[in-house]
Amino acid sequence: MRQMTEKTISQKSPRNLDDAANAALLLAVFIGVWQVVFMLGIWPQISLPSPAMVAGSFAKLISNLSLPLSIGVTLGRLVAGFLISISLGTLIGLTMIKFRGFGKTLNSFSAGLLSFPSIAWVPFSILLIGFNEFGIIFVVIMSSIFSVMISTYSSIRNIPTIYLDAARNMGATGLALFRHVTIPAATPSLIIGLRQAWSFAWHAIIGAEILMSIVGLGHILSVGRDFLDMSEVIASMITIFTIGLIVDRFLLNKIEEKVRRKWGLDHHR
Amino acid sequence: MTKLQAKNIVKSFDHNGNSVLALNGINLDVQEGDFICIVGPSGCGKSTFLNIVAGLEKPDSGEILLNGQSISSPGPDRTMVFQEGALFPWLKVIDNVEFGLKMAGIPKDERRQISQRYLDMMQLTKFADSYTYQLSTGMKQRVAIARALAMDPEILLMDEPFAALDSQTRDLLLVELQLIWERTKKTIIFVTHNISESVILGNRVVIFKNRPSTIKKEVVIDYRRPRLMEDENLQKYYHQILEELKTEVIARIKDETND
Repeated sequence: MRQMTEKTISQKSPRNLDDAANAALLLAVFIGVWQVVFMLGIWPQISLPSPAMVAGSFAKLISNLSLPLSIGVTLGRLVAGFLISISLGTLIGLTMIKFRGFGKTLNSFSAGLLSFPSIAWVPFSILLIGFNEFGIIFVVIMSSIFSVMISTYSSIRNIPTIYLDAARNMGATGLALFRHVTIPAATPSLIIGLRQAWSFAWHAIIGAEILMSIVGLGHILSVGRDFLDMSEVIASMITIFTIGLIVDRFLLNKIEEKVRRKWGLDHHR
Repeated sequence: MTKLQAKNIVKSFDHNGNSVLALNGINLDVQEGDFICIVGPSGCGKSTFLNIVAGLEKPDSGEILLNGQSISSPGPDRTMVFQEGALFPWLKVIDNVEFGLKMAGIPKDERRQISQRYLDMMQLTKFADSYTYQLSTGMKQRVAIARALAMDPEILLMDEPFAALDSQTRDLLLVELQLIWERTKKTIIFVTHNISESVILGNRVVIFKNRPSTIKKEVVIDYRRPRLMEDENLQKYYHQILEELKTEVIARIKDETND
């Protein structure tokens, strides 16, 4: 154990430190340039506040609990919509595999809907469901489900035949074949699809909240605009950026890396 | 005792909308403990025949009898060692070897015991917990053989399992496979395009004709084991098979140029 820890530290730590140092440097440069531009006075303070003013806005939004609350609400909606997307999308994807003709047709349709802008679902959702939680969640689902469907369908269809032949040859059939071969064989590709679906869902929730919500991160943005409070707008933009970064880098990317390492996918030139 | 019988196997393929007859009535009796090598020009349908025996493909007509019973689907009684790439990259070596046993519902302790035994036999004990990408091509094929043997099949099917190996590794495995065959008394059908391989391994070498394929000739090789690549006495078998194959390969090339 001790040995392993040492090895991990000696191999990984310098790179992590490097990454952290680079990130800090980038951040410092960004804030520096921002401060300089602010001091040049090209824009009025109301259009471009200083970094310190945005920090003040952060402090205000945190102390009156509106930021933590909004983060909670937004993530709650996002997770709900995303989970429905995954379950329903996977189910439809599997049906597409089962019925080839249906699958092929639906795959083309879904590809079209994949590039359909999520904001364009908002008016439809308002009229169909209304200005409520379900309306927002509906937009999230419609924006991410096609990505899940396509990824399920193509990941499973593209499994090399030799895995399935070998498994059947060793007596695997039906559910056992599905669970022990189909799923793991499709996993690396499924994860990429999931990451894409997550990013679509994230785009959708903020857009939907700006237009449809009275609470949430998107709502803070729209309140900031209504009250000409640029500090608040920037503070919530930074929050949105940070959450997106954390989820992608420290959650989804980690899962993908783990699978790739286990499979040895990074060992080819 | 007859282990496996192929009765008048016919199989055609769809090739660019045309039906191409690949196998035109293959008849073969495999005795218990036989080591049969099938050789033939490329594209003659020898791998297709093996897939039909494995139950992975269906013949247009004819049937395969295993111990007198007709078979039509894949089963663990006929395990296959594929050319390459058939190991599961998401499983450790030992779990790859145990896969078929797991499918058969054998309890974990017993699975471990069996898989350990075959990993030992293939000198892979140290690599039990490795993933397949950490192995060389030769080691991967040894895992594949261990995986097939672990199922204790009635017949072991091998589809050019050494084709992707470098020659030193292959020479080594050719000897190992003979030792395993003598130890386990398995019935083996081994497909290859390499005449030397067939001479070293087979006690019967079956020569397929160019397509539409039938069995052209069978050469019985009754010679001591383990046979080595450099053994001069095997030369006469080699040349006998080479002569038979030559006309088929020429016919094959003619077919290709006329296509």
